[in-house]
Amino acid sequence: MSRVERGLEITFYPDGSKVLERSGPKSQHLYLIRKGGVRLERDGQPILHLEEGEAFGYPSLLSQDAPAFDVVAEEDLLVYRWPREVFQKLLEYSAFAEFFTRGLAERLRLATRAEGLGMVNLDLALPVGELITRPPVFVPRPSTIGEAAQVMRSHQISSVLVEGEPLGILTDRDLRNRVLAAGKGPETPLVEIMSTPVKTLPASTPLFEALSFMVSQGIHHLPLEQDGKIIGLVTDTVFMRQQTKSPLYLLRRLERTRNPSDLAGYGTELTGVAESLLSGGLGASEIGRSVSSLNDQLIRILLRLGEDRLGPPPSAYSWIVFGSEGRMEQALLTDQDNALIYEVDSPEAAAYFEQLAQLVVEGLIQAGFPPCPGGYMAINWCKPISEWEQLFQSWIEVPKPQELLEAQIFFDFRAVHGQLSLEPLERVLASSADRGIFLAQLARASLQFRPPIGFFRQIKEDDGGVDIKKGGIAPIVSLARVYALEARSQARATLERLQAAARENKLSQDGAETLMEAFGFLMRLRLREQLASLGRNEAPGNKVLLERLSPLERRHLKEAFLQVREMQEAMSNRFHTDRLG
Amino acid sequence: MNLWPFSKSPAWNEVNYWALDLETSGLSPSDQILSVGMVPIRHGRIEYGAHYYSLVHPVRFDALSAEGIKAHHILPRELESAPPLGQVLDEIQQRIGDNILLLHYGSVDLGFLQRSFKALGRPWIKPLVVDTVLLLARLGERRRQLEPHTKPFPTGLAAARAALGLPGHIEHHALWDALATAELFLVLRNQLRARTLRQFVR
Repeated sequence: MSRVERGLEITFYPDGSKVLERSGPKSQHLYLIRKGGVRLERDGQPILHLEEGEAFGYPSLLSQDAPAFDVVAEEDLLVYRWPREVFQKLLEYSAFAEFFTRGLAERLRLATRAEGLGMVNLDLALPVGELITRPPVFVPRPSTIGEAAQVMRSHQISSVLVEGEPLGILTDRDLRNRVLAAGKGPETPLVEIMSTPVKTLPASTPLFEALSFMVSQGIHHLPLEQDGKIIGLVTDTVFMRQQTKSPLYLLRRLERTRNPSDLAGYGTELTGVAESLLSGGLGASEIGRSVSSLNDQLIRILLRLGEDRLGPPPSAYSWIVFGSEGRMEQALLTDQDNALIYEVDSPEAAAYFEQLAQLVVEGLIQAGFPPCPGGYMAINWCKPISEWEQLFQSWIEVPKPQELLEAQIFFDFRAVHGQLSLEPLERVLASSADRGIFLAQLARASLQFRPPIGFFRQIKEDDGGVDIKKGGIAPIVSLARVYALEARSQARATLERLQAAARENKLSQDGAETLMEAFGFLMRLRLREQLASLGRNEAPGNKVLLERLSPLERRHLKEAFLQVREMQEAMSNRFHTDRLG
Repeated sequence: MNLWPFSKSPAWNEVNYWALDLETSGLSPSDQILSVGMVPIRHGRIEYGAHYYSLVHPVRFDALSAEGIKAHHILPRELESAPPLGQVLDEIQQRIGDNILLLHYGSVDLGFLQRSFKALGRPWIKPLVVDTVLLLARLGERRRQLEPHTKPFPTGLAAARAALGLPGHIEHHALWDALATAELFLVLRNQLRARTLRQFVR
């Protein structure tokens, strides 16, 4: 050990300084992080974060090549370093050598992977085409159902494709539901029964995208195309083999629902799905999309059950969700935020939809969705579209600050089910881009919560931890909402809104990316902490304890908060919110 | 008070520092130095490899208290073979030379050094001293100008380090405390945005 001591130097690097440069001089030292952290970067893209107790500089030292990454200090960095001679002497100890060569392999793997797939878990990022096991089987379009069924039996497959334009598909499920159950025979022409046009995706689509596509479309067989040709087909069973807690598994369960009481336990299973997606390395927005698609499906099923019970609806309608559901940013079951809009303003319609809303809201509660404490549920918000139009107009034309604080979540509305077009509401919303006062009031509402950061850039922690919803997530969501409305975008998801705002130059590209990154980090952190709370049988909340975070995560959190604060200031200056009464 | 020995203040990293810490048998003037640790900072880098550490053979063995041993973990047996104070003072003096002495809570250790020099009839070397506790106070004042209600930084070495985000270290060991002081100094230097030596001694 005295040899180690002799060569040891301790150096301090201020935040942002480059310790090693990619393709620059070879590393002359082995570095060990004592305080702070470093970011390995390639062309400004962060590849890996290293924190206290981790080493760097040795791949270049071992290979005698130029460093493969830029090594940039994150915050104030204190490193221990040893010169090459000491390192080489130490490599004579086998345990020491093994430790470093193993780390080297890992680093090299990262270096190659960083270019293609990013840091996403390999399994779910795989092109879906890789799951194809056999070429597709086609039957001629003029066939009968009986002939098609024979082809399926001889190939032992659960679906066949139907030749011709547009492409059709026949599945096991169709044979049962549309043929046998409908009292039809084997002589029925195939074209009467098949689904067409078939929904397909390119074979290069990432596994996860394909998965969410199948969930959102409610399909179990997905033909894949390449160069304009169908090259094969994947079924949901393939996915389920891959993952027991798959969204498709839960989708199947939903489809078997005959009675709202079948839904008990849905919430728990949904948590399992979120957990498996999180550990699969997916980002919070992808998980949110997947979970929201499932919840949408749940609502559709409840509405169908309701309609079965109450008879056909007396008027066209639309069931909408808003808030985080509207933005597809839910990951766990959060409070219900829903409403019902119907076309014809009649007492008969009012009575019918009130009952329908009651059934669905109760069903959602049974499935594990807590009621909304603010009462934003379809049982209270069930109105003809004319009233909704007036409501939206009054919010936008005569904005009242207190009202907007509550009403702003309605601007995230998204139709989940129903025939009624919501174009009138979209038009009112689009008109808000020309209402300076409205935008300014909405901007002010977006400044309601501030990140908990002191002047000395430290995070302020309350009892029970740091509230990352109030401190970061909610501010970013509301900033994105203002920018998107100003840009006349119909996007709802926060990330899409920020992108749309940047495209329309309402927000700089840098600003948008900064907020998107902070948002992704905070959402993922919250989801992880909420799942951990559930694992401890505690209610999931929005607070995180700083002591539970790694030093690196604490720094990221601080950085995210600082960025939110900066963007809030920019928003305040842009709309002169300080001058509002 | 030292007269400024340089005509123009050099950059902070153009001069060499020796972080020093003593373990003593107690805190009263009659107590004795038991160990000394020194770590140099050259070109703004801590050169730990050039450190100096030594136990000190006490003049009076009987004066070693059980509490003292509990605090600094130095056993009387270990001190038997240690070099005498005079030899250790030589080593200290030779290292400090014209360099800056870096101390945490300087007055205590400085008092012991001065008394030891005097006791052996040597002239006191009057080094230029930078005290990390004073730097902490200055950083605290600066912070209070922006945020009047923040508390001052704690002055204990471990607590001060923790307040600035530095990890824990083995306490009450002269060498580790000297190293801990040197690390603290590098962080404080950056936070104070100090560029010249004069900014530490003012």
